[in-house]
Amino acid sequence: MNSDQETGGAKERRGLRRRIGATVPRLSRFAVEHLLLLPLGALIAMAWVNTAPESYYRFSFTIAFAVNEIAMAFFFALMTKEVVEATAPGGVLHSWRRAMLPVIAAVAATALPALIYGRVVAALDEPMLVLAWPVAMATDLAIGYFVLRLIFRSHPVIPFFLLLGIGADALGFLALAVLNPTREVDLVTGVAMLAVAGLLAAGLRWWRVVNFWPYLIGPGVVAWLACFWSGLHPALSLVPIVPFMPHAGRDPGFFVDARPNAKDTLSQFENWWRYPVQVTLLFFGLVNAGVPFGELELGTWGLPIAVLLGKPVGVLIGAGLALVAGFHLPHRVGWRELLVTGLTAAMGFCVGLFFCTALLPPGQLRSEVSMGVLLSLAAAPLAIGVAMVLRVGRFSETPEAAG
Amino acid sequence: MTFRLLQRRASVCAAIIAALVSVGVLAQPAVSLPNRPGSLKFAVIGDNGTGERPQYEVGQQMANARATFAFDLVIMLGDNMYGGQRPADFVRKFEQPYAPLLAAGVKFQASLGNHDRVENVSYQPFNMNGQRYYSYVRNNVRFLALDSTLMDAKQIAWIEATLQDAREEWKICYFHHPLYSNAERHGASVELRLQLEPIFSRRGVDVVFSGHDHVYERLKPQKGIAYFVSGAAGQLRRGNMSPSEQTAAYFDQDQSFMLVEIAAAELSFQAISRTGKIVDSGVIRNETSQ
Repeated sequence: MNSDQETGGAKERRGLRRRIGATVPRLSRFAVEHLLLLPLGALIAMAWVNTAPESYYRFSFTIAFAVNEIAMAFFFALMTKEVVEATAPGGVLHSWRRAMLPVIAAVAATALPALIYGRVVAALDEPMLVLAWPVAMATDLAIGYFVLRLIFRSHPVIPFFLLLGIGADALGFLALAVLNPTREVDLVTGVAMLAVAGLLAAGLRWWRVVNFWPYLIGPGVVAWLACFWSGLHPALSLVPIVPFMPHAGRDPGFFVDARPNAKDTLSQFENWWRYPVQVTLLFFGLVNAGVPFGELELGTWGLPIAVLLGKPVGVLIGAGLALVAGFHLPHRVGWRELLVTGLTAAMGFCVGLFFCTALLPPGQLRSEVSMGVLLSLAAAPLAIGVAMVLRVGRFSETPEAAG
Repeated sequence: MTFRLLQRRASVCAAIIAALVSVGVLAQPAVSLPNRPGSLKFAVIGDNGTGERPQYEVGQQMANARATFAFDLVIMLGDNMYGGQRPADFVRKFEQPYAPLLAAGVKFQASLGNHDRVENVSYQPFNMNGQRYYSYVRNNVRFLALDSTLMDAKQIAWIEATLQDAREEWKICYFHHPLYSNAERHGASVELRLQLEPIFSRRGVDVVFSGHDHVYERLKPQKGIAYFVSGAAGQLRRGNMSPSEQTAAYFDQDQSFMLVEIAAAELSFQAISRTGKIVDSGVIRNETSQ
């Protein structure tokens, strides 16, 4: 090895350290505000249930309804806010043509893991677990965004991932509503009452009501009752209401905090609910991630295997089909970036745990699938490792590809 | 072709077992329950559906026991089928091991375990009539077969209502996951216990049978209810018990099944090993029915 190469290598390492140093402080604030409390709740739950199960279950059963069916409605409302704002000029959903390729990829990236999941749990001799197949469709947007930002900084693959994740979760929620084995869904009543709630929200918007409270107290409560009585999950009740709240003219960007002095309804809503929702996520982790290790059997591996294999391959297949249909990949996105994105989408985390609680009653099945969701977080280091091997994002040798 | 091979294998298994019994390697179980005429007699098996030789040997012991203790009901505590669950598997893992009992008209009433397919509720010899959970009456006993793998709110409401309406002298519930267990592998399903035990106590359930842990364990009565874990009629986790002060008796050295007799206010039970040894026995009196 000559001295030029050594100097070049040292420069490269210094450059990499500088790039990481520049990105991580910004992302660490994002992590504290969006990602820390849920894993903390999950860790506490795991330790608690394996040391004092009776007190854990007494606690979690007592607050499960308040957390899962009421408080989580505000979490999904904030997620919906991000999606609604993304339809504004500058948002990733602003033009439908732009959204089509990731949405097609999302169909393959949900169908394939769900199919693999069914085969794997049967092969692992726990066929009952197949009931939880919609969990294999879930993608956690926040943690995926965090990991992709670590790898790519700003890169066209990030909006691609967000669209993919939104599409995948939307399909998962649809499966949850229509094919839930433990809830009897009265879709006619649900849709009729939700329509009333929607009309009330449309009326508030027509009267130019800016304050978000009337939207919550009026149409929000009607929508919650509609979901509760019809068997749809009440945590999703604010999803059809949020789009009626007036929003900013331009999308500030995904997961970009609203300005404290923002005047539009959605930004005010976010500013008020941001921190209560983080506390909700702490309790959500605490209530739902308590997995007694004694309940785990081989079937636990079904979900991580299905998503770690199915999501990246599904994204590649879906993107390939979309290309054949005449759509175009974003600039600087190739199969290597798609592979890393697919791996990142394998992390269901918060959405996956929510699907578990919505699909399965407390017991062995829920424990196994919840543990599978937590194990699928292994996709984060895997995605970073694959990015290093494939030399994409910040590991690329060309500055343009590095983001 | 495969089906014929399986049938042949099952027949060879049965012949070997019969030979072992005849030369005294497998003992004939010495049944010593009261064995009263007109009493309700039944057997209990859990985690049985392996299709392996120990399951056949337990099946043979059950058939031998029936020669002196004429039970006509077998309750199944789940994991009735492991691995493949095609028609040929139902022959190898259920119809052949219990062929003498089925031929004698003994009725099997199954509950589901986590290794069973939901579709198995429609397998006629399990007598589940397409239901994941159901209830039936024999003599003075109300049986509830539950699905502990998917204990949803609807099932819990059904349990409460069914027990509330039950007027029989004895109320017996059976399902796969144990509310109390001192086996190391799984242990008690505490989340199920918190949901079911208050209902069982309130509605006067007398006895609960479960499997899941591949051992035999009898627990001291908990809140007035007798609990048994009998999950070793095919599978076995040898030496897996870690008895606690809740444990009244246990056996984790071989496969086992149970025989139970109920006459008026008295329930007699025996746990019998694969080799025909009685490993536990006793009597439970139903004080509330006096």
